[in-house]
Amino acid sequence: MTSTTASTIPDPIRSGLQRGWRVRGGAHGPLPARITCDVAIIGSGAGAGITAELLTHAGLQVVLVEEGPLKSSSDFRQLESEAYPSLYQESAGRKTADKAITILQGRCVGGSTTVNWTSSFRTPPTTLEHWQQHFGLTDYTEAALAPWFAQAEQRLNIGPWLTPANRNNEVLRAGARRLGISAAGIQRNVKGCWNLGSCGMGCPTNAKQSMLVTTIPTALDRGATLLVETRADAFVVGHGQVQALVCTPVAGNGAPVHGAAPTRIVARHFVVAGGAINSPALLMRSGVPDPHRLLGKRTFLHPVVISAATFDERVEAWSGAPQTLYSDHFLHSQPIDGPMGYKLEAPPMHPVIVSTTLTGHGQAQADLLKQFPQTQGLLALLRDGFHADSPGGTVQLRDDGSPVLDYPLNDYVMDGARRAFLSMAEIQFAAGARQVSPVHEMARQYTSWAQAREAIQALPMKPLLTRVVSAHVMGGCAMAGHERQGVVRPDGVHWQLANLSVHDGSLFPTSIGANPQLSVYGVANRLATGLAMSLTGRDVQLVA
Amino acid sequence: MERRSLLKLGVGAAALLALAGGGVALFQPGLAAGRLTDSGKRVFEAVARAVLDGSLPRAASEQRAALSAQLKRLDDVILAFPAAVQAELSQLLAILSNGAGRRLLAGLSTDWPDASVAEIQAAFDDMRLSGLAARQQAYHALRDLTNAAFYADASAWRLMGYPGPRPI
Repeated sequence: MTSTTASTIPDPIRSGLQRGWRVRGGAHGPLPARITCDVAIIGSGAGAGITAELLTHAGLQVVLVEEGPLKSSSDFRQLESEAYPSLYQESAGRKTADKAITILQGRCVGGSTTVNWTSSFRTPPTTLEHWQQHFGLTDYTEAALAPWFAQAEQRLNIGPWLTPANRNNEVLRAGARRLGISAAGIQRNVKGCWNLGSCGMGCPTNAKQSMLVTTIPTALDRGATLLVETRADAFVVGHGQVQALVCTPVAGNGAPVHGAAPTRIVARHFVVAGGAINSPALLMRSGVPDPHRLLGKRTFLHPVVISAATFDERVEAWSGAPQTLYSDHFLHSQPIDGPMGYKLEAPPMHPVIVSTTLTGHGQAQADLLKQFPQTQGLLALLRDGFHADSPGGTVQLRDDGSPVLDYPLNDYVMDGARRAFLSMAEIQFAAGARQVSPVHEMARQYTSWAQAREAIQALPMKPLLTRVVSAHVMGGCAMAGHERQGVVRPDGVHWQLANLSVHDGSLFPTSIGANPQLSVYGVANRLATGLAMSLTGRDVQLVA
Repeated sequence: MERRSLLKLGVGAAALLALAGGGVALFQPGLAAGRLTDSGKRVFEAVARAVLDGSLPRAASEQRAALSAQLKRLDDVILAFPAAVQAELSQLLAILSNGAGRRLLAGLSTDWPDASVAEIQAAFDDMRLSGLAARQQAYHALRDLTNAAFYADASAWRLMGYPGPRPI
């Protein structure tokens, strides 16, 4: 297959490079041995992009450090074989320490915003109230955050999706309606979307308003420098502040480029925004002060369980906007700090993701995959972090300094997973499914709700038997109103190091209870605007 | 270093290795410079016969060609993983290539190239439902990597009725 995108669709990255953007690393040329700037931002995803746009607007000289490559629409050919190795952490195979949870996280310019499914929710008010009450984040109210979200929504074209939902999503609405459960539309960050369904492999039409096509180009046009295929190894800490950042050029699989010299970045201020596994890991490798032993702790995932259903008619779950309908019914049916609640959505399916996520082998698997066009999927995002039995996971460093997340799936989490399997099967049967199969090594294809209910109640809900995935890593550098409860202050600045900030999902003291991209945008907008003011005295805004 | 990271496969794997009586020196690595070694290929070819049974061509010569293509794709998939993942996979394949390790971790008495599809599938069914995390982890690694390599290729899509990307 040859790409036709180059000739028909403008490529904002290639145009920018031709205009003279300052990009180094990989094929863009060697890194200088030393760089001096006002602010170094580690990462280029949701938090980094928003921060880079605002700080460059304030006239600051910014350097972005990204471990992954710079790719764009001409490279995005809707192929899993190309997207997973080039755009995702650990080739989309990142796993928790016991291998029981597979984690999808971006590793490319734009970070996870380049490969996510565009779902945009403001932070739920119940989550904010919990932060106010338990983490001293008294100014994180719904009203105080509303303008920051509104600006992010305007800047990134976040709005209602007016095209009819695909059949994969319609099953959620139809089943929920028959059961008297509420379901509603998901807002998306797209402009001129072609409804292709391949958002997870990078948007080939530049419709998705990711950091790759919005804030990063704006920052580069304002003179920012972008280092790609460059790993942030460690900060040099001394005299109560960060003195420098040491970086190494890396190859596609993260291996250091043989013989390449490290780069030293000296800045007035450093912003960590590498995602909620890599950000705490960088601080751990750097030996930053951690007097209350909070760094890398309370890392949350929204552990996800999946239910697959077969319909008589074609569903074609690969086609059309991926997630456009949701139900929060099971987030609201018990207190936020009670039994674990879950949000329901309908994920897109493609051959690799479906063949590795569903269970089985041999003829049984071949028969299951033959039904792919008639297969529908629901997922449940389990809201972790609000109950004493939900402390999340812990980021650890391997011998080579790379991070791994230890996230035990305890009985409290697995009780939520069982209830989620039950809810999803009931909805799928109510929508007319012929067969439903919870994604569990011991489950079979059930042909009625009564049969499925009895079987699911008897399934042993154990890690590695229950398939669990995640695409929402949060926490590990939590913000809090008190030093004893948080790694950073409510303004994002590190409690012990005044020229170090964190601006990504690792800030959150619990999970969000919704797809987190807009939460990162809104919070980063507020924090970066404050940082710009403190560094320059200038009041900048994401949008006029 | 080698032994320490081997232990990360889990307490189960460490116990199995001790039972197998093997020092690391007795084991052939499954990967060299990120590529499958001959012993690694022997394991993954047998895994492919079992996991992809029902999807591979039935005629012997066509099946040989499909397995050869599968190993080539798998090599590319593995090369893209970071060093820490490659090291774990190399050690897993080392254990599975060793007779004692194969019997203890996979529960397979016949060597990989000689084992029938039914024998390997029975071993996999025991592994995936095992109470020992190391056996479950090994099953998931072998099965998922095999599927990732196979179903990434356009030649496998027709088996799933997937038309491929929409032209733009």
